[in-house]
Amino acid sequence: MSSEISTESQPLAPHRADPGPKPSTNAAFEPWQLFTLAGLIGATIAVFMARGQSASAVILISLTIFAAAAVGVAALRTVLPLTRKTTLEASQVLGGRTRAGLEREKALALRSIKELEFDRAMGKVSEKDFDEMSGRLRARAARLMRQLDAGAGYRGEIEREIARRIGAQEVSLPARPAGQCASCGTSNDADARFCKHCGRAMEGKA
Amino acid sequence: MAALGYYLLLAAFVVCAYAAAISVAGARRRSRPLLESGVGAFYLVAAIMTTASSLIIHAFVTGDYSVRYVQQTSDSTLPLFYKITSYWGGLDGSIMFWVFLLSLFGGAAVYFNRERHRELVPYIVAVISVIQMFFLYLMIVHNNPFQTFLTENPTEGTGLSPLLQNFYMVIHPPTMYLGFVGLTIPYAFGMAALITGHLDDSWLRAVRRWTMIAWLFLSVGLGLGMIWAYEELGWGGYWMWDPVENAGLLPWFTATAFLHSVMVQERRGMLKVWNIVLVITTFFLTIFQTFMTRSGIVQSVHAFGQDPELARMFIMFMVTLVVVSFGFLIYRLPLLRSRNEFDSWLSREAAFLFNNWILVFSAFFVLFATMFPTLSHAVTGERITVGPPFFNQWMIPIGLTMLVLTGIGPLLAWRKSTVLNLRDQFLFPTLAGLAVGGTVVALGVRVWSSGICFGFSGLVMGTIAQEFWRGARVRQQTTGTDLFTALVGLVGRNKRRYGGYLIHVAIVLMFLGFAGAGFKQKQIVEATPGQEIEIGDFIVRFDGLKVTDDARKQMVTGEMTIFRNGAELTRMYPARWYFHRRESEPTTEVAIRRSFAEDLYLVMSDFDLSRQQASIEVHLNPLVNWLWFGFGMLAFGTFVALLPDRAFAFADAKVPAHAATASMLLLAVVLWPAAVLAQDAAPRVRFTALEEQVRGEVMCTCGCRRSLTFCGMANCHGEAEQMARLREYISQGKSHNQVIAAFVNDMGAEILMSPPDSGFNRLAWLLPYVLGAAGLVTIVMTARRWSRPAIAGAGGADATLDPALDARLDDELRDLD
Repeated sequence: MSSEISTESQPLAPHRADPGPKPSTNAAFEPWQLFTLAGLIGATIAVFMARGQSASAVILISLTIFAAAAVGVAALRTVLPLTRKTTLEASQVLGGRTRAGLEREKALALRSIKELEFDRAMGKVSEKDFDEMSGRLRARAARLMRQLDAGAGYRGEIEREIARRIGAQEVSLPARPAGQCASCGTSNDADARFCKHCGRAMEGKA
Repeated sequence: MAALGYYLLLAAFVVCAYAAAISVAGARRRSRPLLESGVGAFYLVAAIMTTASSLIIHAFVTGDYSVRYVQQTSDSTLPLFYKITSYWGGLDGSIMFWVFLLSLFGGAAVYFNRERHRELVPYIVAVISVIQMFFLYLMIVHNNPFQTFLTENPTEGTGLSPLLQNFYMVIHPPTMYLGFVGLTIPYAFGMAALITGHLDDSWLRAVRRWTMIAWLFLSVGLGLGMIWAYEELGWGGYWMWDPVENAGLLPWFTATAFLHSVMVQERRGMLKVWNIVLVITTFFLTIFQTFMTRSGIVQSVHAFGQDPELARMFIMFMVTLVVVSFGFLIYRLPLLRSRNEFDSWLSREAAFLFNNWILVFSAFFVLFATMFPTLSHAVTGERITVGPPFFNQWMIPIGLTMLVLTGIGPLLAWRKSTVLNLRDQFLFPTLAGLAVGGTVVALGVRVWSSGICFGFSGLVMGTIAQEFWRGARVRQQTTGTDLFTALVGLVGRNKRRYGGYLIHVAIVLMFLGFAGAGFKQKQIVEATPGQEIEIGDFIVRFDGLKVTDDARKQMVTGEMTIFRNGAELTRMYPARWYFHRRESEPTTEVAIRRSFAEDLYLVMSDFDLSRQQASIEVHLNPLVNWLWFGFGMLAFGTFVALLPDRAFAFADAKVPAHAATASMLLLAVVLWPAAVLAQDAAPRVRFTALEEQVRGEVMCTCGCRRSLTFCGMANCHGEAEQMARLREYISQGKSHNQVIAAFVNDMGAEILMSPPDSGFNRLAWLLPYVLGAAGLVTIVMTARRWSRPAIAGAGGADATLDPALDARLDDELRDLD
């Protein structure tokens, strides 16, 4: 049994993005399989030994043994990571947080505008209030978008990261953000073939 | 086996300690192996607790009476189902079951959030592990469920309390525990956010669902408890403000407040500190209720019993909890500064503020009134009683205010509503409310609280119907589909809001049930065979007694025939069951004939076999079933709100509009019989008005801790004694106040259901006013402080918007739907 390959380490899968032992499919056994097997054998023996008892008691004994097998799996899951030597790259997690915060703020502002429009349509807000509040919200959203634009975009960061990983030379980023329509300026998904607003074909896509 | 179980508990304790320590260490050193090991250990606790649980259930099923706990809570004749559920039938097992559920719930929470909230997970693991450690410690040193007998082993158990051998009672505790345990998760997230300082809204989004699930379990648990009380205790009601019931209600109030105020933070970025305070308070109250029910600090019919040792440990834990939680909160206050803008009192924010004020006030009021006897005992040395009259006096107006807010809140816009909008918005709901209220008055309802309640219910239903209708119309216009599809889309797009409205419908249904309580009728008759009892439209004829026996109990059944308007309707069989080995605790088996309009509820409180006589209580409880429908609706509404964001919920979404109209219709249908009942409620007087009034205020002496009116105990000797005393006082020509004074003089203040308004006990009457006023002042002050910067900043917004940016904004808005 190759014990360093464990499905139980899946829960923290994203960390595995960094080069490490790749889960190989040719391993004969995975720990949970072993424990399931142990549970099955144990339960069989227990059922055999308790054959005089009532059905419910036998079922409970089997359940107990399976729970014990689960204890085994979890114990392995507890001990196994300690044998590894990788450490978390510091500050990686924290880096994007301010940005995520801005994104969140922006989403909040946009959602508020949407909500306000809905409220107006429902007849809850007067035109005057709507204009005033909508203006304020739009200004806030625009300010946030400007702030987001000022910082390096995710897309650039991702491109650079990919470039670093595949070992290619620095990819030069297009002047216009990828996916922006040449004729109307709408931002589209990176793989869009036509602009969702004006319907023009995207550059070099269609 | 028992020794193995005990070692498993020990092992779980050690593993918890390991998980907490290694997670914190891993987070501080940013070491991935340590973190992963911590999470693994956390799962390991769940696995160990599962094993230990199946061990103890095995002991129950096989009847291993060498284990003390098994011996005390089960016996060999119990059906298998009750044997399994005896696991949580006693104090020790219930603590173990608690840890078991917490380990499963916590494991699930960590599993689902391990990626999205990577930075919080280690501290979530640590916080939950520490809480588990406390309960495991309790079991290890004090309440070990695996404890065995030191000398010889008994061969038979003493059996589960007969009162607990009821289906609802079997599922009620686990549902409540799931609620309480579920509320640990938001607390753990909140604490993790406080400890790490990641105090943006992300933790809040993570806990929203968990809180809703926990809240659902808590609500359903309370509902099941009420059904149990209604069916099993046999006094015709479902809620009597018993300390243990109140204890479960406390976290419900604060959790409801949190579910509302969380929206303010999401939408407006306000109330950040308040939300954390609510999360901490809610969790604290779950622990507090455990403490109340298990330490014997309050007197209650269904507390687990006195246990000063346990009380001491709980108090230490609770003090630590408060100090650490609020300590971290104060430490992190600088990070929690929020962008508070308060535009107008006529806004949804203001409605939410009031909603929170009322809910939190309710929680504190109930907490205070529940603890007051203990407090008064400590200060004055005299034990007094705070009973249903005192609670009702406060909770009826509070409940009605809450109901009317339910109708008003959704009509207000975020930020600001103008007078013109208000007229447009409120026209239909107000008319609906007036129409229902007017109809009810015209039909002759003269109970003010119920009349207002019906009117307000109409208002709320009007509000909700209008919200669905107008929302669907708006969506129909923007999407160009038919009304039905628009409605589906509407609910699908904002499940939480419309699920929330469905829950409001549920609240209205429940209030209908509460309002019905105003028209209760009750008769107690010493019946001989052939005797007829008339109540409402019904005539109940007592035909005789029958005694039967099965393996586990002897059953004495009263046979009754029911006539309605002269025609025979059905036969009903109220009974008393005497379980073997528990003969001193006979159960009252109520016979209930349910219908939409009212329940006919028969109780045989006493009998005399030699003379074939029985003491029969006949209750007519109008609209009770709407309460249970309300709980069903509440579960459905929460389910809609919980549907994953992307699920488009075609099937579920079409129900609301029908449900709303149907409920409106049913409301009308149902009110009619209630009103008719109210009309003929007056005749048939068994007690004089003065007697009836005093009966509600004076406690029965049989140990039931209820007023004379509500004592449902078998062979109750207390009621007769008290009535004799009462009649004697009245015959001496005493007035109401003099009668009460005479009771206090003879039997001490404890005999009153409400604390006397004098000396230290005046505090009970004063403090709610003070608390309520203080809350209101706080709200007004906060709102005023918040409204200032908004006015100053309003003009400062950059009016010149870059057109390109504006276009992009429009784009993104279009994408958002």
